[in-house]
Amino acid sequence: MRISKGALLIVIAFIAPLIVELRTVLAWVNVELTVLESVVLGIGLIGVILVWALWPQSQSNGTESAETK
Amino acid sequence: MTNTYIESFPAEAKVVRAAFYSSFLALAIGGLFGIIQTLHRTGYYRFMDSADYYTVLTAHGVLLAITFTIFFLVGVFTWATTTSLDRPVEDIRFTWAWYGLMVVGTVLTAIPIFAGFTDSEMSASVLFTFYAPLQGHPLFYFGLVLFVVGTWLAGVDWFRSWWAWKQEHPDKRIPLPTFMVLTTTLMWYIATLGVAAAILLFLLPWSLGLVESVNPLLTRTLFWFFGHPVVYFWLMPAYMMWYVMLPKISGGKLFSDPLARVVFVLFLILSVPTGIHHQYLDPGIAEGFKFIAMTNTMFLLLPSLLTAFTVVASMEHGARQRGGTGYLGWLKALPWRDPVFAGMALAGLMFAAAGFSGMINAGMNINYLVHNTFWVVGHFHLTVGTAVALTFMAVTYWFLPQVTGKALWNRSVALGQVVLWFVGMTFMSNAMHRGGLLGIPRRTAEPQYDGFEFEAAVGSVGELDAQIALGGALLTLSLVLFFANVVGTALNSRSDDLPANEYADTLSGPSDAPLVLDNLKLWTAIAIVLVIFAYSFPLLSIIERGGLFGPELTELPVHIGLGLEYLWATTISTVTTASETVVALGAEVNW
Repeated sequence: MRISKGALLIVIAFIAPLIVELRTVLAWVNVELTVLESVVLGIGLIGVILVWALWPQSQSNGTESAETK
Repeated sequence: MTNTYIESFPAEAKVVRAAFYSSFLALAIGGLFGIIQTLHRTGYYRFMDSADYYTVLTAHGVLLAITFTIFFLVGVFTWATTTSLDRPVEDIRFTWAWYGLMVVGTVLTAIPIFAGFTDSEMSASVLFTFYAPLQGHPLFYFGLVLFVVGTWLAGVDWFRSWWAWKQEHPDKRIPLPTFMVLTTTLMWYIATLGVAAAILLFLLPWSLGLVESVNPLLTRTLFWFFGHPVVYFWLMPAYMMWYVMLPKISGGKLFSDPLARVVFVLFLILSVPTGIHHQYLDPGIAEGFKFIAMTNTMFLLLPSLLTAFTVVASMEHGARQRGGTGYLGWLKALPWRDPVFAGMALAGLMFAAAGFSGMINAGMNINYLVHNTFWVVGHFHLTVGTAVALTFMAVTYWFLPQVTGKALWNRSVALGQVVLWFVGMTFMSNAMHRGGLLGIPRRTAEPQYDGFEFEAAVGSVGELDAQIALGGALLTLSLVLFFANVVGTALNSRSDDLPANEYADTLSGPSDAPLVLDNLKLWTAIAIVLVIFAYSFPLLSIIERGGLFGPELTELPVHIGLGLEYLWATTISTVTTASETVVALGAEVNW
């Protein structure tokens, strides 16, 4: 893992304000998301974060960094 | 045992524990009322009459904004003085006495509020602000007085400890946690003079029938004399936790003791002469006085920004001690799995958002856009509802083992709880702010009007309601997890493997702080002078115009029938006055 489980939880939690505020921000540039589209976008972002976090940091040595333990 | 608080101060630990449990009981009842009104107002689930909404709202406001917060902070302040002065309280009976007085005050205040749910004549559905002409039962005001007197005596207790310590250590600087307690207490003494005057001189005699009427603008102004600084009475203990606990839990030291002292001195000086910014739309107060209040309020941003800098710098220091590197990479090295740290960090972050919406509230012209709207509710759910409440819940996970001698029941549940609070409040407060921008009013059970619909710029009002209900549900779930941990910990057996009762060391210590910072008499004198400047002319002007006891006023006990009667009487009176004015003007023009 690239980050600790605790940090991962916090990063995922940050998706909530990001998605909630993004809907308003995008409306300024005439991109209007529905609630469903916002939810799908949020789930997609969480998926990307999970893939990034769970992807081994360095495949060459296969070891975890100290901070993730 | 590893030198826990209960081991060092067993008698004091019992008082602190009792204060915490009293606080949690208020949080449980107040939180329950929170979800009830959320579901009622959004229309998702209604099981009570809308008239009862105001009783629920009063209980929610008083129990959370006064009882939960203040019981918790007196516990924290007692811990802070005893720990940092390394001495027990001077007389534990006195400590129990002020705690008992606060409990009696709470019970007496709660009785008439809860009586509002019954057919009894007794009621006090006057909301947290108890504005005249809303009139509560005398017991409501009497209970509030006892509660405040209890907090005053608590302050005496902390000062007694410091004076006794000073006799033995005449040349030593005041330890930082005690310095924070003393400055906060001095601010509280000044602030509560306003509400004491409002209740003792006007509202209590009025509700007892000793005087026939009051001047509503005067009692409102005296309320806000106290009503704004009470925000800092909640916030300063949260700040104290960010200064003395967060750096240690981050793995480092407090960046600057002198800066922390400056911040608390600034709060002592600036907290009180700002209350009129809650009255920008009150007629009868000149715009110039409101402008002065706005200027003072903007100065209050300074200590908050200093705090943001110092606390983040301390966290970065801690993270780098733990091996963190890079411009932002150090953030990964922080102890995010620790619910105490994660909760406080998230609370601090939400407070930054609250600061931005607070600047909107504080600006005289832009305040007109959001005044008395749902925006304000969103704002204070970020300040007291998150910056304070989430910090208090997070540090509970550190304090509970200290005052019970028992290990925390479940750290993972605790982490989930603080994160859930953050997410729930994000949904709820965001929708409240946006609703306020549409002009949706606060303090109403029925924000729907015939022939008129609020139009959202993005999405719909229905979506905002859904967001509020979702947020409220998540917050309730978070509370359930919190209480599961409190009860689980209380039922745990004693542990010998608990962290020691310590707080953060400093990178720049008290010796770097100018001596004048510890001159509490000087700062108190300056605070009083500023209050005199800010309030004497507005108060004199209000009294000159409306009299001490106001024009003849029909009181409004909170019953719907009488309310309509009052509305009718007021309408007739207004129409009569207006017609007389028109006739007089007409006569003047003809002449």
